[in-house]
Amino acid sequence: MNKLIEAWEMNAEVQWVIFIILCILVFSSVAWNTWNFLKPGKLVNELLVRTRSWWIMCACFIVTTLAHPLVTHIGLAFLSFALLREMYPLLKLDQRERNVVMLCYAVIPVQYTLAYLGMTTLFLAFIPVFMFVVIPFMLVIRGETQGIVRSIGLMPYSLVAWVYGMSHLALLFHLPEIPGFTAGPQGLLLYLIFLVGINDVLQFGWGKTIGQRAVLPKVSPNKTWEGLIGGVLSVTLIAVALRFLTPLEAWEAAFTGFCVAVAGFMGDAIASGIKRDLGIKNSGNAIPGHGGYLDRLDGFSAAAAPFFHLIYFFGVTAAG
Amino acid sequence: MPAGSIDAELFNARVPSGRRWLLWFLYKVLWRTVVGLVIGLRYVWGKMPHPDGPVIYIANHNSHLDAMSLMTIVPSHRIHLTHSVAAQDFFGRSGFRSWSMKNLVNAVLISRSKEDRDVDPIELLDAMLRQGHSLILFPEGTRGVPGVLADFKRGVGHLASRHPDIPVIPVYLDGLYRNLPKGRTLIVPFGGTLVMGDPLSFPAGTSVDAITAKAHSAIASMASELKNENTLPPTDSP
Repeated sequence: MNKLIEAWEMNAEVQWVIFIILCILVFSSVAWNTWNFLKPGKLVNELLVRTRSWWIMCACFIVTTLAHPLVTHIGLAFLSFALLREMYPLLKLDQRERNVVMLCYAVIPVQYTLAYLGMTTLFLAFIPVFMFVVIPFMLVIRGETQGIVRSIGLMPYSLVAWVYGMSHLALLFHLPEIPGFTAGPQGLLLYLIFLVGINDVLQFGWGKTIGQRAVLPKVSPNKTWEGLIGGVLSVTLIAVALRFLTPLEAWEAAFTGFCVAVAGFMGDAIASGIKRDLGIKNSGNAIPGHGGYLDRLDGFSAAAAPFFHLIYFFGVTAAG
Repeated sequence: MPAGSIDAELFNARVPSGRRWLLWFLYKVLWRTVVGLVIGLRYVWGKMPHPDGPVIYIANHNSHLDAMSLMTIVPSHRIHLTHSVAAQDFFGRSGFRSWSMKNLVNAVLISRSKEDRDVDPIELLDAMLRQGHSLILFPEGTRGVPGVLADFKRGVGHLASRHPDIPVIPVYLDGLYRNLPKGRTLIVPFGGTLVMGDPLSFPAGTSVDAITAKAHSAIASMASELKNENTLPPTDSP
C-alpha cells in the first residue's frame, strides 16, 4: 500500500503541465461561451462541442496518467481494445473471422503485460514478428480461403497500427534512469498527450483562420497546407517550451515536437483515408461531437512509437 | 379459455423479492457494466423521459443478447415486473433452459403453435399488463436475418389496442447480432447501438393492423436514421 502511494506522488513538473492544461480549457470555455452569448453561430457551436469533449478527454487522460502505473497500463490496453472493437465491424471482419478476432483481442493483454514486466525485447518482437505469422496461420487453419488475402492483410495491420503503436506509451515506464531527469514517465506521457492534442487543435485553428489550399483534396478537404505548416511550427515551439517534462535539450525537443506533429498529421490522414473508403463520417460515437475512438486516437497511435524511440535515442543512447 | 389456468400462469409470473434483487444486480449493475465496457454498446436515449408504470417494449430481434440488453434500460424499480416474452418450444426445451429463463431473465414462455396450448398467449399477456407488469416483445417472432427488419406479428397490435393507456416504447438494436449471431455460442465484442425511441400511444379504437404497422414503421425509421447518421455525403469530408 505504501508503495502505491509513493508511486502516485506528483512531481512539480507534472503539476505545472496540468495547471497549463486547465488554464487552456478554462480560457477556451469562457471565450467560446462569451462569443456564443454575443453572436451565436455554427463555428462557435462546433468549438463549444469540441471544448466540452476535450474536457472529458483531458479528465480521463490526466486521471489515468497520474494513477498507479498499473492503472495507466490497463487504461492504455482498454484504448487499444476499444480501437480494435470499433474498427473490426467497419472493416467487415466480424463474420467468418470472429474466432481469430478473439485471438487479436487476446494479444492486447499479453502485449501490455510484457510492457508492465519490462520485457522490452520480447515486447518489441511479439506483434510484428510472432503474431505476424501466427494470425495468418490461424486464419488459414479454419480451412476457408475465400477472402483470406484481405483478412491476412488487415488483421496484422490493425494490431500494429492500434495495439503495437499505443503500447509504446506503456514502455515509457521502463526507460533506464536518466541523470538530471525528474519529471518521470508521467511527465513524458503528459508531454506527448499535450503535443498531439494541441497539434490537433492548432491544425484545426490555423486551417479555419488562414487555410486556403488543401493538402489532400481527395481524401480530406479540411486539411490545408496553412493548417499543417502553422500547426507543425507552433507545436515545435510548444515542445521546446515544455521540455522541462523531458530529458531533452532545446534543439532535441524541437526535433521531437516536429516529428510528433508530422506523425500526428500522418495518422490523421491515414484514418481519413480509411474512413473515406468505408464511406463513413466518423469511426463511431464514443464521445458525442468528437466521433469514435479512432477519430481521437489516430494521432496518438501514430506518434507514440516515434516519440518513444526519439526519447530513448536522445535521452539514453546519445547521452551515453 | 379456462380462467383458472390463466390465474395459475399469473401466479407463476409473480416474482419473489429475492429474485428482484438478483435481477437488479444482474442487469442494472453487472450486465450494464459488461455491455458498456466489454461489448461497447452505445445507448441513444429518446427525447422523452421513460414513462412510469407498465409499458410494452418492442424491439427488432437478431441475437440472444437482445432481451438481456433491453433489461438494462428498464428502470430499477420495475425490473422484476418486466418480462421478456419468449418461445416455449425453444426456451422450454430443457429443464435448465426454462429454469434460467424464468429465474435469470424473468421471461414468460408462450407457445407458438395453436395445437398444444391450453392458454391463449394474448389472454395471458393481457392479464399480466392489467396487473401492472411490463412486457418486452420481439414482434418479428424470431431472430431472422441479421440487419433485416422482418414483418411484425400482430400480437403487439392486439395488446396495445386492449390497453390504450399503456405506452409502447420502440427500441432499435443495431449490431448486437455481430457479438452473438444465431447459431454461435462464443460472444465476441464488436460494439453495437441501442436506440430508445419516444413512447408511442394509440387512442382507444385504433385497429390492430394500424398499431402493428405504426410500430413497424417507428422501428424502421429509427433504423434508417441511425444508418444515415454516419454515412458520408458525397461532398462532405471525413
